[in-house]
Amino acid sequence: MSTLHVLSHSPFGDDRLSSCLRLIGSADALLLCGDAVYALQPDSAPFFALQDRTIKVFVLDEDAQARAIDIPDWAEAVDYPAFVELSIHHDKVNSWL
Amino acid sequence: MKFAIALFSAAHAPSSRRALLFAQAALAGGHQIVRLFFYQDGVFNASDAVVTPQDELDLPKQWRAFISEKQLDGVVCIAAALRRGVLNEEEARRYQRNAASVSAPWELSGLGQLHDAVQDADRLICFGGA
Repeated sequence: MSTLHVLSHSPFGDDRLSSCLRLIGSADALLLCGDAVYALQPDSAPFFALQDRTIKVFVLDEDAQARAIDIPDWAEAVDYPAFVELSIHHDKVNSWL
Repeated sequence: MKFAIALFSAAHAPSSRRALLFAQAALAGGHQIVRLFFYQDGVFNASDAVVTPQDELDLPKQWRAFISEKQLDGVVCIAAALRRGVLNEEEARRYQRNAASVSAPWELSGLGQLHDAVQDADRLICFGGA
């Protein structure tokens, strides 16, 4: 049983990302979209928090591009068709509204 | 694969656009959308009264075109809609308001429609917030 966690809020504005990382399972994955892509801001606390974990991190490519965020090699850029496939690949999708 | 999609944010929120793009990608990928449910501020996506600035994406218009063209079930939570002044003709008449702004293909109905859609679908995907 795996869950795709979808985050859309900036990690610099609330605790959603840290709450998510506290309960995310090893088979789960994280999809960053909207302002949540700021978690990949180089040399920031959220960046290191994600880098240090072995969970799979996906990033909605157009949201990263719109914010001039480079995607590190340990994360994977996805488009909307890939987002749909990710939601199928996992048993549940949990959006951190 | 059958999807139920719930949207919690108003038309001007980026998450509403993501919901539309996800829905379009799901259908393009050969999947089915059993229902689109518009809850909380998501009800504003169904309002004909929204006027979007000319240089911005007109999401209520795009939702309307998408739902009509693909003949989808676009359900607006009636309780969330009433408290936000998003009424169809029937509700405007019932509450003596001169402010109907929801029409076909949209339908006002209860939260049970979300529950029902989740039972039928393989995945529930929620969009909202930022």
